[in-house]
Amino acid sequence: MAPQPVIRSRQMEKAINGIPTQVVCTEFSNYIFIVLTQYGKIGTLVSITPDTRSGDISVPMFTTRVLLGKDEPLTHVYAKNVTTFVSQESGNRPVLLGLSLKDNSAETMKTVKDMIKGCQVW
Amino acid sequence: METVENGDSSTQAPVQGISVHDFSEKIMEQLVHFHVMKLSGGFFLWIGSGPVLSNLAVAIASKHDSMPLSTLVLGDTSDTTASSLAQRLTKKTKKQVFVSYNLPMTNSNLALLVEDRIKKEMELHPDQF
Repeated sequence: MAPQPVIRSRQMEKAINGIPTQVVCTEFSNYIFIVLTQYGKIGTLVSITPDTRSGDISVPMFTTRVLLGKDEPLTHVYAKNVTTFVSQESGNRPVLLGLSLKDNSAETMKTVKDMIKGCQVW
Repeated sequence: METVENGDSSTQAPVQGISVHDFSEKIMEQLVHFHVMKLSGGFFLWIGSGPVLSNLAVAIASKHDSMPLSTLVLGDTSDTTASSLAQRLTKKTKKQVFVSYNLPMTNSNLALLVEDRIKKEMELHPDQF
């Protein structure tokens, strides 16, 4: 019998407005890795890191950085929007997001967030 | 009649979908885990003994050079293990390859054996990469 994998991952596929959309969430001890794609690729790679400021109980701040791919303002907004809850729910772990969508509309984003929730590994 | 096995996404055949494949091997007294995510035109490969992601390299084939282009997008850039492994795997497969290497870097023998193990798995399960 093969040993149990040390990495846990969950995935989901769903058609949003007729476009097949895939979400794969993978848990690491220091990162949550999420692939969100309508191309089957990692695409633009973004890191979303919570800022640690001791004694601050106001709205948490996040730093987004495009590690690979086109660095557009929308990418930062999108990445923050779909992953901040993941970071908060996973004990403030940073998130690594592979993002490649054909449809960047707000309605699609809602569905996509629900898909990520459905692939909870944290 | 179509048969689909349950519980293991890697045995299903989704249309161009992402599939995940795990395997492990005891190499030099150490249990090494491998986690492969097959993507369209490439794959993501994580290697480690514990569930940490400490670096990430990516390599793509170059039109102008027989040696693929490789870069580290996350982690300590002084360590070239991940990026050179990604580069060699791209050379072998002609695909875009992401590699995260999370084993002690001081041991180059281990890295060689790990690479051999990956190549063996690629021969055994070419559909998973």
